[in-house]
Amino acid sequence: MAEALDQAVETAESQEGTPTPQEGEGGVVPSADSPGETREQATAGTSPDGAGAQTSGPTGPPDKITAQTPKAKAPKAEPEKPKEETSASPIVKSTGIPIPDLGGPLPQLDPGKYPPILVNGRYLVSPSMALPELNSPSALAYVAEDRREPGRQLFALICKPGLPVRIRLMAELKNQMIHGMIPIVDYGPVLWTPIEQTAIVVIFERPLGGRFIDAFGEHAPKINEYEIGKMLIEPVAHAVSSLSQLDFAHRAIRIDNLFFMDKEKRELVLGECFTSPAGFDQPMIYEPLDRAYAMPSGRGAGMSYDDMYALGILLLFTLQGYNPIARMSDEEMLAQKAEKGSYQCLCGNERIPLAMIEPLRGLLSDDDFERWNMEALEQWLNGQKKTPIQRRPAERPKTAFKFSGRELRTTRSIAYAFSKNVPEAIKVIKNGKLEQWLRSSLSASDIAEGISAVLAISKIHENSPDGADEVLVSKVCMRLDPHAPIRYKNFAFMPDGFGTAVAVEYLRKGNFQIPGEILARDLLSYWFAAQHSQSPDLVAQEKAFQTLRGFAKINEWGYGMERCLYELNSSLPCQSDLLRLTYVGHTDDLLNALDGVADQIDAQTRPMDKHIAAYIATHFKYDITPHLKAMTDPKEETSLIGMLSLFALMQWRMKIESLLGLSSWLGGLLSPAIGTYHSRTTRRKIEQEIPALVRKGSLPELFDLIDNADRRQKDTQDFEEAQVAFAHAEAEIESIVGEGVDQEKAALQTGEKVTSMIAIVISMIATTVIIFVSAI
Amino acid sequence: MKRPQQPLSQEEQRKRGRSYLTWALLVLTFLAVIALPTMIVMFFGLLPTLVAWIVDRTKGKAASITVGSVNFIGVFPYIMNLWTDFNSVDRALGMVSDIFTLLVMYSAAAFGWLMFLSMPSGISSFVLVLQQRKVAALRGEQKDLIEEWGPDVASLVEMQKMEKQEAHMELGMEGIELEVLD
Repeated sequence: MAEALDQAVETAESQEGTPTPQEGEGGVVPSADSPGETREQATAGTSPDGAGAQTSGPTGPPDKITAQTPKAKAPKAEPEKPKEETSASPIVKSTGIPIPDLGGPLPQLDPGKYPPILVNGRYLVSPSMALPELNSPSALAYVAEDRREPGRQLFALICKPGLPVRIRLMAELKNQMIHGMIPIVDYGPVLWTPIEQTAIVVIFERPLGGRFIDAFGEHAPKINEYEIGKMLIEPVAHAVSSLSQLDFAHRAIRIDNLFFMDKEKRELVLGECFTSPAGFDQPMIYEPLDRAYAMPSGRGAGMSYDDMYALGILLLFTLQGYNPIARMSDEEMLAQKAEKGSYQCLCGNERIPLAMIEPLRGLLSDDDFERWNMEALEQWLNGQKKTPIQRRPAERPKTAFKFSGRELRTTRSIAYAFSKNVPEAIKVIKNGKLEQWLRSSLSASDIAEGISAVLAISKIHENSPDGADEVLVSKVCMRLDPHAPIRYKNFAFMPDGFGTAVAVEYLRKGNFQIPGEILARDLLSYWFAAQHSQSPDLVAQEKAFQTLRGFAKINEWGYGMERCLYELNSSLPCQSDLLRLTYVGHTDDLLNALDGVADQIDAQTRPMDKHIAAYIATHFKYDITPHLKAMTDPKEETSLIGMLSLFALMQWRMKIESLLGLSSWLGGLLSPAIGTYHSRTTRRKIEQEIPALVRKGSLPELFDLIDNADRRQKDTQDFEEAQVAFAHAEAEIESIVGEGVDQEKAALQTGEKVTSMIAIVISMIATTVIIFVSAI
Repeated sequence: MKRPQQPLSQEEQRKRGRSYLTWALLVLTFLAVIALPTMIVMFFGLLPTLVAWIVDRTKGKAASITVGSVNFIGVFPYIMNLWTDFNSVDRALGMVSDIFTLLVMYSAAAFGWLMFLSMPSGISSFVLVLQQRKVAALRGEQKDLIEEWGPDVASLVEMQKMEKQEAHMELGMEGIELEVLD
């Protein structure tokens, strides 16, 4: 098992940056070097089954996770193998319909070694009983059993550890079933024994009719125009509509993600969309043009009109039974879509049934506002006619713009080409050829002026990072194609996909280099400024990004890019190295998780790091600014007291009874904090009291012992008094034996003084005696 | 709290000395007018004290006080005699011209000198022992304070020493500068 896992890790490393077969070459998997997907799809890694040999392609989990995997000692790299294209049937392959890699049959695991794992105290998931036919691109399927209802047909998807999942959507759908979507039964984190990592398990009702595409056997997955409405459009549209009411988009509508819930294959439902970020697993063709330019992790949560576009593509594939543009590479597809429009690009040379022309034209519109919404689709389903959408291809220039040996005709294509070749782009931007072409060939003087403004600003910041070539090209791309993603150093994302993009980037590379630069250069504000219309949503997003920029600038615990990571991904579990074997999805779990790992970690390690601080700062609802400030203090004792006070506050606020492990852990670290008391007696007393409080597991009491205000005040007062007493003693000593004091001379003077006093006394006595004698 | 006394300038000291002399002369004149016989006996009898006062360089005129006190014991019986018997200038002159009387008075003064020369050295040895014990006790007290409060308890003293050192250095530098200027 471990060997298989190691092999998976090695495979992931060896595949990074390796080109894979192109779609146009007969493959049906999105190519690794295809536009926008290069960063993520070229990497593969551990799969939840632990074997992982079959996992490659678009959903490779982050490098960090592979690196974290226990026993991850990579063997010698094996020769690169061609990527497994798909698990779909050969007939589906021949249709050219792109299907993400769903993983193949898994090696049989020994049930004795890997017994069923309990989920939420009710469901048993068997690692030894895989269900490859129900795999998702980012999750593998296993048999699940309900202990309360034996015989209930369930299956579980094990999400790849580390990949951000859509927990909020899971929570919503667990509470309410949506017609047209596969019913989710439960979910939760478990320690997945084959890989010894905590993973999210999602349990679903099992689709007894299997996958939609598998139902066609040797035939192409084709439905005629008379049946498609009732069989496919209605359930999918209903699911999309219901999700939209919950303010979510499905973002995983594709032909391989349709299932029949019943054995008779009548009830068609959409498959899951939770096990990866929105749009992450979608082949590029299903994405509207603006989101298709983004890398998979940065495609964004999207809205229902993005689902409508995917539905349009799904309809086209099922109507035709094949992919009309299968021979095009992704790059060609994007260029064609940009120049001709999606509908024309996909259906231009196809015989589309008359009744389906309007819905396809409506659903495949590249303009979000023109695209058919749910209402329009329902009207069509009810037989009402809609005004046909007039195709408006992109404005054609008088001459093509030559760049890198290609002839480009739209600003979208130019922006995309620029983002792929920054050194060349910077030449044509700076020598004015682009502006000239925009003015003369495209008559787009407003864009040209915008670009000259960008150039002028760039000159002001010439020698600073703000004036770097990558920044300039990124801004020019935004001017050329305002709706396209933000593209900077091959990091392409829609603003609503920034969170997942940052998360995947961090989980993969273990740093925030590029997202940090994006925030520092304020490229997001530039994108918002470049938009023609400012909707309230955009304004709110821009405001949120400004807040994030403020966080990113602060290099203290609880802030920085870690804070941005959790602010942007509210359902992302805490990524602290201390908690790598546990899943902390809520602040309530954090203290218990730390309590649990206390005895497994070096006692001198602090139970706090940048991730834990940022996670608490993001999710804990009380103000912890003073605690964070104290924790960042360079003085060790102040930092320790800050940390203890924060944990104490959390335990008290969350009413957690006892934290024995964490108390013991913290108790062992408190020596420097105890040292802040001046009095040795007080210190000894505190040290003697700590074990009793550790046994109680009470952090508030421990904190009160360490940082009691009255005790500290008394200690300070007594210390000041002691200082004064010491100084007095010193002064007295100085007066006796100090420098410049002739002790013998002083003593002699004292003797002389005493002698004179004795003489006076004797004189007085004698005088008195004489007076008495005379009187007698 | 007592304010530290400012050292008097030489001019002020001279003024104050003149003032004391004026007052002493006034008192003596007054006493000479009302008690001339007593003043005659006292003047001649306390002559050793006057000499001691003049030659005394000890702090607080300790020698003069010692000699004067014992000298007064030798003079006082004769003054009492004057006061109780016949208080006249002739009698007073008779007394001071009597060699035995002068011997008594001056012997007393000599005893005073003897006392001053012998006693202080003995007392100073005793005082030295007492001081050493006092210093040891204070050091012990400081050690206890350090044990209880740590070395930081001496920070105030250290600070004072530093300030003193700095002041000393500044003064030294000023001195060097002045020398260079000269």
